[in-house]
Formats: sequence, structure tokens, C-alpha cells
Amino acid sequence: MGFLVTTLIFLLSGGVASLLSLLCCNRGPSTNLFHLTLVITATVCCWMMWAIVYLAQLKPLINPILSGE
Amino acid sequence: MGVFDRLPPMDHLRSEKMCFVQLIMPAESARLAVTYLGELGLVQFKDLNEDKSPFQRIFVNQVKRCAEMTRKLRFFSDQINKAGVKSSVRPALQPDIDLEELEAKLGEHEHDLLEMNTNSEKLLQTYNELLEFKLVLSKAGGILASSHNHATPPERELDEHIYNKEMDDGNAYLLEEGVHLGTTDNSGVKFVSGIILKSKALAFERMLFRATRGNMFFNQAPAGEPVTDPISGEEVEKTVFVVFFSGDQAKAKILKICNSFGASCYPVPEEMVKQRQFFREVSARLSDLEVTLDAGIQHRNKALESVGSQLWRWTIMVKKEKAVYDTLNMLNFDVTKKCLVGEGWCPIFAISQIKDVLQRATLHSNSQVGIIFHEMDTIDSPPTYFRTDKFTNAFQEIVDAYGIARYEEANPAVYSVITFPFLFAVMFGDWGHGICLLLGAFVLILREKKLSSQKLGSFMEMAFGGRYVILLMALFSIYCGLIDAHTAGLIKVRDPYPFGVDPSWRGSRSELPFLNSLKMKMSILMGVSQMNLGIVLSYFDAKFHGNALDIRYQFIPQMIFLNSLFGYLALLILIKWCSGSKADLYHVMIYMFLDPAGDLGENQLFWGQKELQILLLLMAIVAVPWMLFPKPFILRKLHKERFQGHTYRFLGTSEMDPDSEPDSARSRHDNFNFTEVFVHQMIHSIEFVLGAVSNTASYLRLWALSLAHSELSTVFYEKLLLLAWGYDSLVVKLVGFIVFAFATAFILLMMESLSAFLHALRLHWVEFMSKFYHGDGYKFKPFSFALLADDED
Repeated sequence: MGFLVTTLIFLLSGGVASLLSLLCCNRGPSTNLFHLTLVITATVCCWMMWAIVYLAQLKPLINPILSGE
Repeated sequence: MGVFDRLPPMDHLRSEKMCFVQLIMPAESARLAVTYLGELGLVQFKDLNEDKSPFQRIFVNQVKRCAEMTRKLRFFSDQINKAGVKSSVRPALQPDIDLEELEAKLGEHEHDLLEMNTNSEKLLQTYNELLEFKLVLSKAGGILASSHNHATPPERELDEHIYNKEMDDGNAYLLEEGVHLGTTDNSGVKFVSGIILKSKALAFERMLFRATRGNMFFNQAPAGEPVTDPISGEEVEKTVFVVFFSGDQAKAKILKICNSFGASCYPVPEEMVKQRQFFREVSARLSDLEVTLDAGIQHRNKALESVGSQLWRWTIMVKKEKAVYDTLNMLNFDVTKKCLVGEGWCPIFAISQIKDVLQRATLHSNSQVGIIFHEMDTIDSPPTYFRTDKFTNAFQEIVDAYGIARYEEANPAVYSVITFPFLFAVMFGDWGHGICLLLGAFVLILREKKLSSQKLGSFMEMAFGGRYVILLMALFSIYCGLIDAHTAGLIKVRDPYPFGVDPSWRGSRSELPFLNSLKMKMSILMGVSQMNLGIVLSYFDAKFHGNALDIRYQFIPQMIFLNSLFGYLALLILIKWCSGSKADLYHVMIYMFLDPAGDLGENQLFWGQKELQILLLLMAIVAVPWMLFPKPFILRKLHKERFQGHTYRFLGTSEMDPDSEPDSARSRHDNFNFTEVFVHQMIHSIEFVLGAVSNTASYLRLWALSLAHSELSTVFYEKLLLLAWGYDSLVVKLVGFIVFAFATAFILLMMESLSAFLHALRLHWVEFMSKFYHGDGYKFKPFSFALLADDED
């Protein structure tokens, strides 16, 4: 699927989540900013986790050596 | 950076704005005002009478009275518990009563209760004595009867019989002593009957024997059942005894000995007829007494019940009153002695609410003069107040456990809400166990209302308080587990390769080296990101406080140092992954320091690497004195300028308002100790420089714990479950499954999650917060009745 495509997917889901939080729990500008920060932090963390694991397997130096079947 | 200025201030990022206020209350409305403020719970009073002892304060009498009432209430609750009376808490049908009325009522009740108690005690004592008497009558009657069975010769011959009766052999030689018992009419054989503790009976007998020189006969019969001692109230084994003797001197001695041994003597008549008559009388009296005792207990229980139904309300009332008077004690009388002056902190958003409350108090107390409420300036630093809800409360407490934020300092809790559960999940990452945690969290959250009103054990209370933390931890664990394809060691999920670790790695021999390399690099990347976030937060803090000095001489060199070394390492990792090069990053980093100009050879990852490394090394070396030297010198220069300004100001206005420039502020300006500031800056810089290396390495615990978790799960799965499943017998399978379940629950779920929790906490407290957090503030503790109730629990 490619690195960029999945990154875009993460970005879009982050955007959707922020919009949802703005719509559902709209409680004043400062609280909205707080909720936005939470959503963005969560998206960034999840994306980072996925990206690290993806990049590590892009060009592996060692391949799985199956214990002789 | 301009976009950040246009944003509204974020909730929770900085503590609420506080202002220092002064309250001037006329004496008649003071108490009511403080009570209403307690209900509102948004003002923290400053103790203006700190140096006074509790006995020198104004309202010491009222506090004493409240303490007395508390004592009485506690006495009531003790009595209720002892009597085992269960009283229903009737809803507030009774009207609110005044404090003086309550005091009088409590005194009355206490007096009644004490009276009832003494009366019932006396009755009980009499009852027990009568019981003993009854026992003595029956047993002694038996003894006397048996003694009469031996032929009833005239009294003189009875003497010989006494001597001839079977006695201890030891007594035999005393027969020759032949104490002369006078044969006057008084010297007939008499006896004393009574009851004594079984344990003392032997000593008693010996004592009697010695005292009367053998001229007595001691007969005893055990009481059979345990008897309640009238004096001590305990149930003990007793023995009924009859002592036969003759002569008045002997009687006196015997009675004295009985007294000293605590034996109670009861008069038992000789004749059977009279005995039976006594017996009947005593029984009658006993049944009367029983009825009286029962009635007494009923009466007392009823009184206790009526008290008990009100006890809770009264206790709360008295507690509130005591709190109000304690707060009033913190205030001062002003010059005219007609008003009380108080000072305190309150959040700015609450000012209008407080003004309303004070107006209400003035109205209700029918006072002519209103309460004056105005803001004041002060040099004290304000307390820190975060308005948390049930979700953010747990995270704020986690941060507060390290240190309460300074006033208006950036609050790490804003980011910890997400990064703490995330780091936990990196270490715990396992979606099977994550689902267990999720279920636990759901149970706690769905039964929120019920559990919050109950009193829970200390462990459950912690778990309940952290239910949202556990929820987030579980969600992130499931996500990380899916990525790592760790599934409690159980099922191999066929994840599509683009998401997560390729399942073809599972079970291969090179799995571990690959995963180790992946996880170590992941730890470094996450560590560098979090530390950078911390330093960036310090930038925002400095900007908020307008501290350009910190930005120029602390933020910038810190960023340069950290990123030219460890940011570069992170970059190398990414490049190595993307290009698939076989470069050895350890080698690259170490030789960057040892031999920067040397040839890279095989470890070359991109063109111009050597030159870039030399540049970065130089930048890092420059950054160290940059963060160390300029700031103290500039601070000294600034202070000199300020100080010069001060002296001029002093000469100009000699009649300064003493309030505007208090002594302590003046002395603070004077005390600029250059050495101290320089040493402080040096410590700070060294801590940062050395910390950069150690903190980055510290993040490797993310790798270590996740490795441990996955290995444990695999071991338990393969060695326990699969092994047990291999056998044909059902019993072995069942036992194996049970052991597997227990091991999973206790070791993996509890121990591992506590361990991951602890390490994630440490990473936040030390590695993240040391970059920007001071944490030397104090918490806002308003005078609030709600907090009082929490404190008591």
C-alpha cells in the first residue's frame, strides 16, 4: 500500500477524529483546543508506531530463517 | 510561531489565574459568610494568626465546645456499636436545629445514657451475686447434706468426727497438736460457705489450714458451669466451698482470709427446709431482676436508636461548625474590634460567585453593613489550581505526585494523557492481555456511580481512581499488540503485511535479532521525540513569561546539543532503514567523537556524511558553554541596573506606602548572590548534557520490557498450555489450563502491567519532565465542606 498512502490514511483519520470531537463535545474554545491536542497527540503516536515498524521492514538486512521444517 | 499566539489559551495547560483578596466582615455576619463560603469551596484562607497557639485565638471557646460535642457524638456511636443497635437513617424530616440546641440535647442524651448504664451495671452486679448465691445454696446444701449423713452425734462428738474424717495425710500429725476448742456454747461446729475462683481454691485451702492450724475442714464442689463474676463481669470457673470450724477467733481469721482471696461468702442455713425456702426466694428475686434488666436494656436501646438515626446529621453539623470556627480563627480583628479581616486566594473566575455568596450572607444575617471584598497585591506566589473533571483527574494526580506545578507553568498532564498510556502500551503491547485490561476498565467505568459512593479497600480505590488511565492503556495496548502481532502468545493473526510485523517472522530463528534491532531503534526514536517535546514546552513557558533570556541562552543551545547528537542518530536510523545499508551505527556514533576526520568507508550512509558530522560535533561543543556562561553574567548585569534604580527611588520618596514595597521584597532584590546563580546554572547545564546521553539510553527500557513480556507470554503458552494439551488425559489438560490461567492473570496481567506502569511513569517523570518542569508550587486547598468530608474518609 505504500508508506505515503497509509500516512495519508492516518492523517485523514486524525482529521475525522478531531472533527468528531469538535462536534460531539463542543465546550468552549479552550476546552476544544485541549481535546484537539489530545487527538493530535494520539494520532501522531499511533502513526509513529506504525511507521517505525513499517520502515524497519522495508529493506531488511536479515530474512526470516525458518527452523528447518 | 505567530499561529500559536492567535490560538485561545488551552484548558489545563496552565493553572487558573488566582488573585489575592481581602475580606472585611462585620462580626455578626462573619460566621454565616464563612459557612456559605465553605459551601462554595473556592476560597483558600491565609492563616493570619500562625504564630498564636490554639489557646490564644479568638474563637477558642467555640472550638472547645465543638470538640466536646464531637466527643459526645463519638461516645454515642461507641455505645450504639457495643449494643449492636441498627438504626435507620431517616431522611431529614426533622427541622434543622441550632447549634446551642444541639449542644443542650447532646448533653441531655449523654447524661441519660450514662445514668442508664450505671443503673444497669448495678442491677447486673446484684443479679450475678444472686446467681452465685443460688449456686452456693445448691452445692453447699449438697455438701452439708452429705456431712449430715454421717450420723448426727451431739456437737462434742462432732469434733472428733472432724478429726477422724479422711483428710490429707499431711494433716495427720497436727492432730496431736490438739488445739483446745472450748466447749462453750459458742464453740459448736460452725461453717462458712461461699464461692471462690477455681484457680485460687488450692492456695485458699492451704492458707486456711495454716491459719487455723489444721482445725478446719474444707470441702469443695465445683460450680459446674462458668459463672459471671459480679465484680469483673467475666465468665470464670468457680468452686463452691464450705469450711467447717469452731471458735470465734477461727471465724474472724477465716473471714479475713476469704476477703483477701476475693472469695464471696454467702450465709447458707443448715436446715434443709430453710435452704429450700432461701432457694425459692432467691429464684423469685432472680426472675424479677431479669425482667427489670430486660426492660432496662430495651429502654436504653430505644434511646440509642433515636440518637442513632440523627447521629450522621449531627456529626456532619458539628464537623462543619468546627471547620467554620477553625477558619474564623485564621482571621484577625481590626482596630475597631467590630470587624474581622481575612486574606486569601481565590480564582479569578470565581469572583462574581463569591460576591453573590457574601451578599446572601449579609442578607441572611440581617446585618446593616455589607461585607467588603477587594483584591490586593502580594508578593507571595499563588497556589496552583487545575479544574479537573473525572477523566483528567487521574492524570493530573500522576503528575502532581512528582511535584505540584508552579503557578502558570506548562502542565505536562496535557500530553501525558496520551503519551503515558502509549509508552505503557509499547512495553506491554499484547492485544490478548489488552482485551483483559479493557474488560476490567469497562467494569469499573460502567459501575462508576455505585462504586464511587462505596468505601473501597486501598487497592480497589487506586484501581477505581485510575479507571480512565486503565481504559486508555488497554486501547493503546491492543493497538500496539496488533502492530507487533503479539497475541498473548496464543493465536497467530494473519495480519496483512503492510500493517505490523510480517507474521512470517514468527517462529523463525532470526526472529529475536530482528525484533531486538527493531525495538531498540524504536526506543531511541521515541525517546528523542519525547525529549524534544519537553524542550519545546520549555520554549513555550519562557515565551509565556516573557523570559527572552531563557529562550536565547537555554532553549536554543539545548535544542542544538540534543539534536546534533541524538537527533542525528535518529536521522541515521531512518536513513539506514530506508536505504537498506549495512552500516554499523554504533561504529558511526563512536568514531564521530573519537576520530571525526577519519574515513567512514563502509559506514557511509550518504554523501557528505563526514563533513556533516564534523559540523554537528562543533555545534554541540559550542552549545555547552553557550548554555553555561552567558546567563549568570547577564542576570548580574540586569540586577545591577535594577538595584541602581532602587536606590534612586528610595531617596526620592521617603514617605512610601509601607504596603507597596514590603520588607521581604526589598531584601529579595538585594540578595543577588552571583556565585549561587552561577553554580545553579552550572548544575543545570551539566545535568542536561550528561542527561542527554543517559536519558536517551534510559528509553531502551521500552525495548527491554516489551521483550520480557513477549518472552514470558511465549514461555507460558508453549511450556504450559501446549505441553499440557499434548497429553491425552483430561485431568492434565484441566490442570494445565488452570495453571496457565493463573500464571497469565497474576504474572502477566498484574505484575507486568504494574511494571510497565512504573517504568512509563519513570520515563515521564525523569526523562520528559526534567526538560521543562519545575514542580515547586503548592496546591490550592480551598475551605470547602466537600473536601472536609473527603479528608475524613
